[in-house]
Amino acid sequence: MSWACILLPRLALDGVLRRHPHPERPLVLVTGPAQKRVLAAVNPAAERVGLRAGQALAAAHALVSEFATVEYDVDEVTRWRDFLAAWAYRYSSQVTTAFEDAIVLEIGASLRLFGPWPRFERQLHEDLDALGFSHRIALAPNPRAAWVLAGMHDGLALAQPSTLATALNRVPVSQARLDAKTARALHAMGLRRLGQLFVAPRASLAQRFGMGLLQHLDRMRGDAPDPFDLYRPPDRFDLRLELPYDIEHSQALLFPMRRAIADLGAFLAGRDGGVQRFVLHLEHEGHPNTEIAVGMLSAEREPSLLFDLARGRLEQARIPAPVRGLRLVAEELPPFVPAGRELFDERSSQSMPWSTLRERLRARLGDDAVYALAPADDHRPEQAWRRTSLPVATKSPVEAAPRPTWLLQRPIPLRDGGSRIVAGPERVESGWWDGGDVRRDYYVLETGSGQRAWAYRGVGEIDTPFMLHGWFA
Amino acid sequence: MRNSIGDHSPPPQPSPAARGREHAPDYAELHCLSDFSFGRGASNAAELFERAQRQGYTALAITDECSLAGIVRGLEASRATGLRMIVGSEVTLDADGDSPLKLVLLVETREGYSNLCKLITRGRRRSSKGEYRLTREDLVDGLPGLLALWIPDARMSRQDGAWLKRHFDGRLWLAVELHRGPDDARRLQELEALAASLGIPAVASGDVHMHARSRRALQDTMTAIRHRTTIASAGKRLFPNGERHLRTRRALSAIHPRHLLDETLRIAERCRFSLDTDLGYEYPHELVPDGHTPQSWLRELVERGVRERWPEGESMEARELIEKELALIHRKQYEPYFLTVHDIVRHAKSLDILCQGRGSAANSVVCYTLGVTSIDPARMGLLFERFLSDERNEPPDIDIDFEHERREEIIQYIYERYGRDRAAIAATVIRYRTRSAVRDVGRVLGLPEDQLAQLSRSTSAWSTDTPTSERLREYGFDPDSPLIRRLVMLVGELLGKPRHLSQHVGGFVISEHPLHTLVPVENAAMDERTIIQWDKDDLDTMKLLKVDVLALGMLTCVRKALDLVRRHRGRDYTMATLPPEDPATYRMIQRGEVIGVFQIESRAQMAMLPRLKPECFYDLVIEVAIVRPGPIQGGMIHPYLRRRQGLEPVDYPSDALREVLKRTLGVPLFQEQVMRIAMVAADYSPGDADRLRRDMAAWKRRGGLESHRDKLFAGMRKNGYDEAFAERIFEQIKGFGDYGFPESHAASFALVTYASSWIKCHEPAAFSCALLNSLPMGFYLPPQLVADARRHGIEVRPVDVRYSDWDCTLEAGTEDAGEGGEPPLALRLGMRLINGLQQKVAERISAARASGAFLELDDLVARADLDRGSVDRLAEAGALRGLAGHRHRARWQSAATEKQLPLFAAANAVDARSASEPRIAIPPPSASEDTRADYASIGLTLGAHPVGLIRRALQQRRYRSARELAQWPDKRNARYAGLVILRQRPQTASGVTFMTLEDETGMVNVVVWAQVAERQRRVFLESQLLAVEGRMESAEGSQHLIATRLEDLSSLLGGVATVSRDFR
Repeated sequence: MSWACILLPRLALDGVLRRHPHPERPLVLVTGPAQKRVLAAVNPAAERVGLRAGQALAAAHALVSEFATVEYDVDEVTRWRDFLAAWAYRYSSQVTTAFEDAIVLEIGASLRLFGPWPRFERQLHEDLDALGFSHRIALAPNPRAAWVLAGMHDGLALAQPSTLATALNRVPVSQARLDAKTARALHAMGLRRLGQLFVAPRASLAQRFGMGLLQHLDRMRGDAPDPFDLYRPPDRFDLRLELPYDIEHSQALLFPMRRAIADLGAFLAGRDGGVQRFVLHLEHEGHPNTEIAVGMLSAEREPSLLFDLARGRLEQARIPAPVRGLRLVAEELPPFVPAGRELFDERSSQSMPWSTLRERLRARLGDDAVYALAPADDHRPEQAWRRTSLPVATKSPVEAAPRPTWLLQRPIPLRDGGSRIVAGPERVESGWWDGGDVRRDYYVLETGSGQRAWAYRGVGEIDTPFMLHGWFA
Repeated sequence: MRNSIGDHSPPPQPSPAARGREHAPDYAELHCLSDFSFGRGASNAAELFERAQRQGYTALAITDECSLAGIVRGLEASRATGLRMIVGSEVTLDADGDSPLKLVLLVETREGYSNLCKLITRGRRRSSKGEYRLTREDLVDGLPGLLALWIPDARMSRQDGAWLKRHFDGRLWLAVELHRGPDDARRLQELEALAASLGIPAVASGDVHMHARSRRALQDTMTAIRHRTTIASAGKRLFPNGERHLRTRRALSAIHPRHLLDETLRIAERCRFSLDTDLGYEYPHELVPDGHTPQSWLRELVERGVRERWPEGESMEARELIEKELALIHRKQYEPYFLTVHDIVRHAKSLDILCQGRGSAANSVVCYTLGVTSIDPARMGLLFERFLSDERNEPPDIDIDFEHERREEIIQYIYERYGRDRAAIAATVIRYRTRSAVRDVGRVLGLPEDQLAQLSRSTSAWSTDTPTSERLREYGFDPDSPLIRRLVMLVGELLGKPRHLSQHVGGFVISEHPLHTLVPVENAAMDERTIIQWDKDDLDTMKLLKVDVLALGMLTCVRKALDLVRRHRGRDYTMATLPPEDPATYRMIQRGEVIGVFQIESRAQMAMLPRLKPECFYDLVIEVAIVRPGPIQGGMIHPYLRRRQGLEPVDYPSDALREVLKRTLGVPLFQEQVMRIAMVAADYSPGDADRLRRDMAAWKRRGGLESHRDKLFAGMRKNGYDEAFAERIFEQIKGFGDYGFPESHAASFALVTYASSWIKCHEPAAFSCALLNSLPMGFYLPPQLVADARRHGIEVRPVDVRYSDWDCTLEAGTEDAGEGGEPPLALRLGMRLINGLQQKVAERISAARASGAFLELDDLVARADLDRGSVDRLAEAGALRGLAGHRHRARWQSAATEKQLPLFAAANAVDARSASEPRIAIPPPSASEDTRADYASIGLTLGAHPVGLIRRALQQRRYRSARELAQWPDKRNARYAGLVILRQRPQTASGVTFMTLEDETGMVNVVVWAQVAERQRRVFLESQLLAVEGRMESAEGSQHLIATRLEDLSSLLGGVATVSRDFR
């Protein structure tokens, strides 16, 4: 067997740079708790101006006035690694992500298809370059050796066990993928190359460093089996439909879309789950894809509902060019909780649950068109309420001050000569921090026609007209 | 955002607008928080009193929440404005089953004051620092002497009112606090009805949180800070408006019926207690044995001291001074204070803890005879001014320094001796500085963490100014954006505001009667520490005496050095009996060989020594005082130096000032001299001079020197002094600011300087050893101290488990004694230098060794019961060299010492500890590897100096050594490279940084000007091994390399981890 190791020394950074508008400017990944931020990785431009991985962010700021910072995201790294494993999967059925910073794949069985090795290797390089991931590749008779050697330099290909032994002898302990503590200890003992370890008494090594070290060395030389999990493609729904001809109207898309959604429904039913969000990709010729995301507040799986929602979104979408293909991707697949049904369901077939109605309205009118009101914590009447997407369970209102049920959109002069002051002034002076400072004396007034009005004057004003701000019911 | 001060809206009912202020009814504010209600009050006492006085209030109560920390400031403001202060406190009782209850307690009588102190103490002592907890239970004795204002919450509970009435019958009011709420008219009606139904009077009060409405933004900001939220999301926790300020009487009368305002006057009339009256503070009495009075007992102790200090009889002069001082002490009744200080010092001596007093009263003959100080005023040729004066009503001031490692023993002794009731530490008011203000304001304005960090970088840590536009722009903020403008404005207002109380470094207040009858006591952050709510300025104002129990590292070092001299030389010295005025010691000081010596080892000091050439004790006193920000800013150093060197004639502005200035060649250097000048030249009274001293210390915080300027100039002009002299004196007064150095302190410090110099000169090995065992302290780290010792010919031996203890020790040297001299001692480094090794491990090794030398590594491990981590650290330090060979082999062996786990049974087939373990080829470390390991483990090397190892590479780059530079011609360009061991930027030196660089041949002083540092900021800040191109400048024996270009050569070191001391 032959194993190729693709080492990905800057996976996190490459993942970020792929989508960054200015990858050529200094950029660093930052990690660590708020008080002790450190640079996790730096791009070449940042390195040129003197930034280094491991530096404190504060120190970096002291050194360089301008650079972009992006949060280091472990999950993102995992995603990119899985993405690359999926890519590698097309070249081999034995792919593993078990080795840190690396994708390792068995290539012996694939050589007939992609080989010989130098060509196969070139293919891998080309793919990875195109994808934008810096990497090194090494080949060895066992995966662990390939992993260690890839760390040494790019392009090593040792097919024979004998040449492998020679190469491993020369590997510095600091680069032998030992745990950091062991590597430091060995260095402090003057044991600097693997060759020295290979000839050292095994019992002495085991006593000092445990069996783990011997195991690592044995597996590296292929003297012991190296069990690890192989990569498996993930659970997600991704369906692409090539259309027989270019479609220009959304109406005509409904048919293929219904089919795709039906397949999704079947898939969901098969795994007994629901979908929270899915994306329709409309593929155009010579034009970037149009993406239409369909999100729901709770997981659903009923195809007719999903179709209704998707249709609503599709009708709103602008389609810039004829559609060549259609792809449906669903990744948020949470468990499905069906709505409670009574044994004798009394609802007529026309009625639908409130939440379903809400979803349909949102789908038809847009997310922003449907909202609820909630109180907000602010002394200024204009700021004392806010919009929310979901009705909020309000706490018992501790509102001591009387507030009108109808607040005018904006205050207007009160045109009523015969008003009588019922209560006030209540002074509101607040909001200096966002530039919306108000200083008003509010009064409850009874107008000549007997209505209760809420109106104010600016603090210190005497003869100015009242500004009407609301009506009491 | 700013509002006009004191505006008000028209009353709801039309009223004659012409009604003038003079017709407004009188009013006394009874509920007012100052900024000592942390996070609530937005104005300080001075602002509150000034405004209240301008509004024509009759009296003002300061009622901080469960605290009297602000009342002394209140008292001062009250004196300044002539407006009467009522002492009080707002407390909220914990719900505790019932509902919470909010009260304002006002002091009616002295007894009431005591009861309030007691109540606050009780509430504070049972909670953690900064909090309090009081319940109804605490009020059941009715708190005699206190009046209570009840501030009902929204429930207006009749029950609560009835409960309060039971306990405060005849002393309870219902407070009506109206702040333009939704319906004040109705609220007023309901409150009055409640009061009537309870049969108690109602009274108006203001719940004042700021002096003027314009503080509204700051008050909101403080509220958000207190709730740890942003202002935008603080919502209803902010006050709805700015009404909680000292409103005009006209505004108040528009809201309140007349009788509610009149009631405030009746209450104010009842609260006649004033802090101005004597609180009855007394010093502890118990130090006087039966049959003695304090006077006779102090006399007795002084006479005993006289016999000890002058076995062959005191001089006439000394006797005369003693009698004069004793008489004065008696007139002031300060005997108990001196007896207390004596008792503390006596106790320290019985524990063999070295201590020394300083301060104006410490340098008296009485203190010399009592053993408080070792300065013999007669012997040192010092004639102290009268240390206390009749007219100057200033309490005696004695600070006592103790060995830093053992001060805690003294603190515990004081607590034990007087009890926690009667002894407590003074508070220190921690105030907002730029950085903390920027952080807190930025946070509540909603800036994210990383921008906050960036913002605080734009300010220096200890600055007390608002950040400048240039700095803000430099750090990427737009100073003109509304957010940053708001931030700068609020930071400006928050600066200097108290944040919390902390403990003073060592100021103890001790009292005959329980302290909580005088001032509330609360918990400090440290367990088992209690502080009073007043700081040292407050104590001064209130005339409470304090003893400063301070920690001084050099005393530890001197005591340890004298112990070593006793053990190895058999000579028994104390600080007082070291040979005085030793010429060899002064010669050493003049050469500037003072690394490690107390107070004169800083770069600036060291550079001054060869020019100042101190040759007697008083010269040291001047040296200690002169190289400080005060005299430097006042421009006093160079005139003094020129006169001392005879380059400029010594003259005096007048004959009268000759007396004041003759010891310092006509140049005022000391705080005392400035005060004397003000008295002699500008006709200040002793009281004025004392005020000047205090204002000098506080002007940066509070301002207030301008009035002195006018007064000084006028006085000096009248007495015929020229403008330039007056200007110089005034500049120096400003310079003295925070750093003013009194001669009395300088003299005490100089004595420690002399003692440490003498020991370094005559017993250098003992000095180095003691210094290493007293670290951390001073300017230098172990590598410089060891290098300095070796340069002076002391043999330094490495850390070795066969010989080393935890501390460094002295051993017999290998060289023979020189002609007639004593045999040299060698310095054995201690295990305390080993990075990460625990003291108890080292002690186990010493103990095991006492029963026989170690045979091999296993023997050591078994007998000293060492864990693997410790063995590793010993191996890494090279301390196992005698047992296990070189470092690599020691590490290999130490790795096998772990207690064996059953899991590894297979590996145990071969017993690795036995000699039968197969040998393995382990290469020895190279010289540079050894150096690197030495630095990593013990921070220094006795082997090759890291720079020595790369000397060839430096030569190729044409860099010289320190030895070559020492012979370098003046004003010539030079190239030098060395390890950076010190970066220092004196506050006064306008951007210049002093660096000390070191190589295998010695040290070089480098001066880096601001523009070079800025241009090469990274190299300047980060280099371990720094190359400098520049010009040599030498002046009177001291040499500097003025840098023009820097280069970072650290990579040449190959990973040696050296450390420098930067910007301490």
